[in-house]
Amino acid sequence: MAIKNKKLNLKDKYQYLTRDMAWDPSYQKKEDIFPDEQFEGIKISDWSQWEDPFRLTMDAYWKYQAEKEKKLYAIFDAFAQNNGHQNISDARYVNALKLFLSGVSPLEYAAFQGYARVGRQFSGAGARVACQMQAIDELRHSQTQQHAMSHYNKHFNGLHDAAHMHDRVWFLSVPKSFFDDARSAGPFEFLTAISFSFEYVLTNLLFVPFMSGAAYNGDMATVTFGFSAQSDEARHMTLGLEVIKFILEQHEDNVPIVQRWIDKWFWRGFRLLSLVGMMMDYMLPNKVMSWAEAWEVYYEQNGGALFKDLERYGIRPPKYQDIANDAKHHVSHQAWSTFYQYGQATNFHTWMPTGEEMAWLSEKYPDTFDKYYRPRFEHWAKEHAEGRRFYNNTLPQLCQVCQIPTIFTEKDDPGQLSHRQIVHEGERYHFCSDGCCDIFRHEPEKYVQAWLPVHQIYQGNCDGGDVETVVAKYYHINIGEDNFEYIGSPEHQRWLAIKGKAPEPAPERSGQDAA
Amino acid sequence: MSIEIKTHSVEPIRQTYGHIARRFGDKPASRYQEASFDIEAKTNFHYRPLWDPQHTLNDPTRTAIRMDDWYAVTDPRQFYYGAYVGNRAKMQEAAESSYGFSEKRNLLTRMPDATREQLLRLMVPLRHVELGANMNNSKIAGDATATTVAQMHIYQAMDRLGMGQYLSRIALMIDGSTGAALDQSKGYWMTDELWQPMRRLVEDSLVVDDWFELTLLQNLLIDGLLYPLVYDKMDQWLGEQDAEDISMLTEFMRDWFKESLRWTNAMVKTVAGESEANQALLQSWINHWEPRVYSALKPLADASTGVAALDELRDQLATRLNKLGLQSQGESA
Amino acid sequence: MSVTALYDYKFEPRDKVENFHGMQLLYVYWPHHLIFCSPFAFLVSPDMTFGAFIEEVLKPAVFAHPDAAKADFLSARWQLNDEPFIPDVAATLSASGIDHKSMLTVTTPGLDGINGSAS
Repeated sequence: MAIKNKKLNLKDKYQYLTRDMAWDPSYQKKEDIFPDEQFEGIKISDWSQWEDPFRLTMDAYWKYQAEKEKKLYAIFDAFAQNNGHQNISDARYVNALKLFLSGVSPLEYAAFQGYARVGRQFSGAGARVACQMQAIDELRHSQTQQHAMSHYNKHFNGLHDAAHMHDRVWFLSVPKSFFDDARSAGPFEFLTAISFSFEYVLTNLLFVPFMSGAAYNGDMATVTFGFSAQSDEARHMTLGLEVIKFILEQHEDNVPIVQRWIDKWFWRGFRLLSLVGMMMDYMLPNKVMSWAEAWEVYYEQNGGALFKDLERYGIRPPKYQDIANDAKHHVSHQAWSTFYQYGQATNFHTWMPTGEEMAWLSEKYPDTFDKYYRPRFEHWAKEHAEGRRFYNNTLPQLCQVCQIPTIFTEKDDPGQLSHRQIVHEGERYHFCSDGCCDIFRHEPEKYVQAWLPVHQIYQGNCDGGDVETVVAKYYHINIGEDNFEYIGSPEHQRWLAIKGKAPEPAPERSGQDAA
Repeated sequence: MSIEIKTHSVEPIRQTYGHIARRFGDKPASRYQEASFDIEAKTNFHYRPLWDPQHTLNDPTRTAIRMDDWYAVTDPRQFYYGAYVGNRAKMQEAAESSYGFSEKRNLLTRMPDATREQLLRLMVPLRHVELGANMNNSKIAGDATATTVAQMHIYQAMDRLGMGQYLSRIALMIDGSTGAALDQSKGYWMTDELWQPMRRLVEDSLVVDDWFELTLLQNLLIDGLLYPLVYDKMDQWLGEQDAEDISMLTEFMRDWFKESLRWTNAMVKTVAGESEANQALLQSWINHWEPRVYSALKPLADASTGVAALDELRDQLATRLNKLGLQSQGESA
Repeated sequence: MSVTALYDYKFEPRDKVENFHGMQLLYVYWPHHLIFCSPFAFLVSPDMTFGAFIEEVLKPAVFAHPDAAKADFLSARWQLNDEPFIPDVAATLSASGIDHKSMLTVTTPGLDGINGSAS
């Protein structure tokens, strides 16, 4: 509260324009108005110590955001008017957009829902306002991404039903379960998961691959969305920092709770990002950098600096950070191998890297690519050339927590899968790692609820018994247009026509087609 | 009679997304449509919320209202985010111009002390009502499942925050940006008898669980009486008290309310028209809350325009509810 | 440990065997053959014999691998849920102790994937 007769400074004025509108209720109990604030065990002794992560009044928000929108949509319009989709580096790039629209965009909307709810749940008005602003920002991202990719949807396949797919397609249960996990958590865990772990720690690892990938591949619409979203994300990141500082400074009992959340959400985010690493190393015709390099810069260096500072609060780096750091040499290849062989059930195409691309991978992954992944790739390429493009017709085992097929290998033995098993109340549960095991052990009541796609198919809950029916009818993947090998696909043919080149013959699909 | 720029004629393979095509056919869709229909997750939720294990995420049963398709409720303004911020930016510019003009000309400080006091007592405390509306609409946005419905409410929430800020700025103009007037005004909110029925009503709204009951209460009943009373009737009354300059500063609220009538009417009409059960439920909520809203505003009307003005507005609200297929316990009922 | 929730938080596991219409899940991992990205998840009848499982389910699944033709699964080294396991071709899966969501690991010595790369 400012000293009387003295003009308010910027900070105090903003508080008057936000949190001062709140009051201490007397007709209703505070815990009835804010029922979710305490059950997680987080202790807040003084909400007034909340530091507003940014000072944006609504009039300024409307003004600046409207200008951003005008510019952004002008570019969307120009992109559509000029058939900008023809200017990308190569049609294979669009598969990155298919992954983004079906895997990331629905998370933006989920974030809107999460922040709208959390924007009501804190008794601290400053925190509420910041969360509400993030809610509407994330709604913006959801919608601008829909609009950014609308033009692509008119000219490419696989983008046509993202939200529907997000709820159903096997690999999309990975991002969906991540956000369901956050949204089903209490408000403080939600913020630790999304505002801190995701927005602050991991956002660059999501945005750099997609947005920089767009920049490197001539996708003006998407990269402009990225530029347009940066000033939003800057606010989200500052909220993430403020949240973690505020919680940690309010009571020492919060430290172990936050530590566990950091461990959990780092690991869940790391697992989620395996899809991004794959995209970065394999889907971009013009490559920005390797996933390993991105992980080094944006996690190991930036995150390292952050956790060094957090040590002052008694927070140590995430528990399995060393395993994650080591995995940077493997994750993208393991994921691509997975999607390549399950290409019959994806809304995007897969292919084998060219010789040049394998050379790049070899250069970027000197210790792992040639040793562990080139042999299988060369084998698959040879098989494809001989008319036996490889599709794995058997469903994979999924991790109970991260829901990714258990494709990851042991840190010290990259030839060996990292599989773990727990029996809980008589039921067997399988995991890809110690990290996911820890998460399950802490809240088994939660993770027994997981909707695992493979299990649901086998339970007959996906509109069909065979994979092809599931893919077509339940997933809404247009067979032969959205899925299967890129080379020779309708998309490939159309791209060649755009570029005025002769169509290449589509290799005869092998007997190992979708069952 | 034109210059003509020829571009490649490139036939698209489809005109819009699948989820839009299923609703509207495969033809070019508006941005409102592409951004607002079927965006949310609908099925296969992994975990029950720790904060509400009785419902799933995106559970439609968080309200007792039942709709076959919540997307029957749409926004007549067709606000997706871009349209919303663009519209508000225009309104903001007009308001900025008015506030700037008022500050430059010291319009509020030229007012009689008594009139300024009345502003601080009768108008500025409404910023706390705005905060309540902000919280309520944020909750609704989080609970409503359909994107068309949820986004209307988050816009509403942010609008309330913005209008609360405009009201706060009026006080800051009065006190020379020291905060003194805001403190005084908050004192009225907390202790002045005039405001206690309203504060109790707002606090009671904060514990309403059913989100549709809450939007009916907040956005139709409370706003439906409060805004015309304050920004039309009281504005006129203030003009008679040598405070006509304040009118320029609340134009935003008038324009906003006029616009919000459209979507709130459309929403309630659609929901009421869905089934008799919905109508009965809505009616029960109206029966419960409408008298409380009237009572909460009566002291304010007494202190300013007179209760006749409030009664007149109650009649108008009753007429409005009639058009939505509902009854009010107001005098015309 | 237990989840911290506002209210009573207890839910049936989604993948109890009762939900599989008489069938059950069986996972099989063939180490050092990572062109199959993960262990296979099979939907099998508990009454299926182990031998039938090998011939009718496993072999078709691994057919695409060059090592598949060379593999003698019946003579291989097996583990069931991380414990050594000696298969009986005539025994049913249920009789073999292979219950719902069990994990079988079959190691075929000398067969280490494509060019010995564990692929």
